[in-house]
Amino acid sequence: MKGTFVYSRVILRSDTGQNSMKPNSHLVLVVDDEQIGLEVRKILLERSGYRVLTASDGPAGLEIFSAEPVEAVVLDYSMPGMHGGEVAARMRQAKPQVPILLLSAYIGLSAEVTSVVDLYMTKGEGAPVLLEKLGSLLDPISIP
Amino acid sequence: MNLSQFKTILRQVFLLPVVALLVVAGALYVQIRGANVTVNLIQDSDARISQATLVSKLIVDEESGLRGYETTGDSRFLQPYADAESRLQKEIQNLDQVAGGDADQKHDIADLRDEHQTWRDAFALPIIATVRGGGQTNDVDLNLHGKVLMDAVRHDLTDIIQKAEANRARRIARWHRQVRTMLMGLLVLALGMGILIGLFTRSRLHAVSDAYQSSLDILSRRAEELFQSEQQLRTTLDSIGDGVITCDAEGLVQLMNPVARELTGWSQTEANGRPLEEVFRIINETTREPMETPVAKVKRLDKTVGMASHHTILLRKDGTEMDISDSGAPIRDKKGETSGIVLVFRDITMERKTQEALMANEKLAVAGRLAATIAHEIHNPLDSVSNLLYLMRNGASQEESSRFMDMAEQELARVTQISRAMLGLYRESKAPVVVDLKEMLEEILLLMERRLNDLGVTVSTEMPKPVEVAAFPAELRQVFTNLVTNAAEAAGTGGAVKVSVAPRCAGIDAIGQKQQPGATVTIADNGPGIPDDIQPHLFQPFFTTKGEHGTGLGLWVSRGIVNKHGGAIALNSVTGTAHGTIVSVFLATNPTINAGGD
Repeated sequence: MKGTFVYSRVILRSDTGQNSMKPNSHLVLVVDDEQIGLEVRKILLERSGYRVLTASDGPAGLEIFSAEPVEAVVLDYSMPGMHGGEVAARMRQAKPQVPILLLSAYIGLSAEVTSVVDLYMTKGEGAPVLLEKLGSLLDPISIP
Repeated sequence: MNLSQFKTILRQVFLLPVVALLVVAGALYVQIRGANVTVNLIQDSDARISQATLVSKLIVDEESGLRGYETTGDSRFLQPYADAESRLQKEIQNLDQVAGGDADQKHDIADLRDEHQTWRDAFALPIIATVRGGGQTNDVDLNLHGKVLMDAVRHDLTDIIQKAEANRARRIARWHRQVRTMLMGLLVLALGMGILIGLFTRSRLHAVSDAYQSSLDILSRRAEELFQSEQQLRTTLDSIGDGVITCDAEGLVQLMNPVARELTGWSQTEANGRPLEEVFRIINETTREPMETPVAKVKRLDKTVGMASHHTILLRKDGTEMDISDSGAPIRDKKGETSGIVLVFRDITMERKTQEALMANEKLAVAGRLAATIAHEIHNPLDSVSNLLYLMRNGASQEESSRFMDMAEQELARVTQISRAMLGLYRESKAPVVVDLKEMLEEILLLMERRLNDLGVTVSTEMPKPVEVAAFPAELRQVFTNLVTNAAEAAGTGGAVKVSVAPRCAGIDAIGQKQQPGATVTIADNGPGIPDDIQPHLFQPFFTTKGEHGTGLGLWVSRGIVNKHGGAIALNSVTGTAHGTIVSVFLATNPTINAGGD
């Protein structure tokens, strides 16, 4: 990606129609600065029965987090400006009961970061693992 | 004692005896003159005596003549009387003259004249007359009277003669005295002057000998000091940790210190007098060709030549090889002429190994710093691909699958691009290849995109066209990665980095040097700039402004690589209002690669 980096706030409201039918589908917030990755993850989660909100950076994510009744957060670690650890910390301050799943391309994040979040996994472990872990955070019994 | 003092002494020693002898001569002369006067006086006395004797004789002649005439009456007997008489006046006159100024004598002579006159008048003439007249002169009383008169005359004469003789004796005594005085004086003077001369000469000689002795002392002290100083220098030379070889002006070996002997493998006796090239054989590391020794260079250029590039191998006497670094300098004498050449060298094998290790290390460090990029740039796309595959397996429509596959392909292309760039960082070619600088820089910026975003740095580029040079790609990547990282870290959050590449034609530069055709890569940032006191240190190894996070090797290694490529790296930085740093790297299109870099 050449040129000047532009902060963009992308808020996607899930609109595929499938999930709005399910009464106990959970609202999940996904935050990642990688555009394609974000979109793919959104599709994946929606196909698995979640309603998804997305944000491309920390500030946008925090806004949505405070405005919407988000039930879980899937948060990328490395983002320009505010990284995932900081975002998680603020989210904790705002709504400590909301579970946070931290995704990272790095291995070996510091304990201060991992202690803030509920669960932590690396990217590349695969979709099933992500879905499983997210499910376990939200609802130990329901497996989409 | 200096020369003029010595000459003075010579003069003095020459003149003193001369003067002394002159003085003696003078004294002698005075004495002799005095004696001469006395001799003259003696001669006067002699003259007086003989004159008086003559007068006496004449008077006797007179008398005997008269007596004869008186007795015989023959006038022939009167002849002596007449002769004497004629002469007598004159002789008495002479006597008077000879008496000189002696008043006493003159009185006596006057008396004599008178007496004689009286005799003549009173006795002689009457007698003569009588006899001539035929008379008788036997008369006793008459003759007695005549005798008395003659006695008086004789008495006077005797007086005169006696006085003259006394005078003479006195004068002779005086002369004897004078001679004695003269002799004694001469003796005393001779002795005195002799001693004087002797003492004087001795004292002058002492002065000279003292001066000579002190000169000898000074010389011997100086010789001792010289010896000590030479010993000290020799010891110092022997203790120097580098090899030192001195040659004469022709380049023949004169001296080797212990380290030199050890490093070259030659002993002092073996090497002495040989041309340096025999003892100190050096070859170029890459070409294996014999190199010009610093001594030959110094002879040629007549000035100090510094340590040559670090690619000299010394062939020791037993044939083994050793990496060395050497320098030579001329030895000048007081007039400024070259009287010899001194060569200093040392074994840099350890140094080279360390340098190589450092550079290898830096290479890895550069790679390590990009770990973040690797993680992201590979994991993210792969994660997406993995998710997409999952979706495709679990109930995606044909249309959706098609879309999903497109997205997957896109992400995989990213991965491939980045991994290729990453591999390029490691793999090195044996010979230079043609490299498109534009493509390389774009790749690097892609690799660093993550990092640059993390830092909050904006990157702009100006690379209108591909620019090709011959180079070792991995090494150039290392350089540019390092420079872009430095620029980004300097620019900081909100800062800007600009990367541009432009070709440069052959020509003549500002100082009249010929320029090869090539390309210039410029990396500029608008960070705070580098202060003037830091700028000279930037390319030094282990110099870093990044505290714990910097190895301090990046720019040093980069410069080494650029130099190896026959290029040049330059840095301009300004602090203050118009702050920023610009690093330019010039690479020739067809460089002469220098083995080993710096």
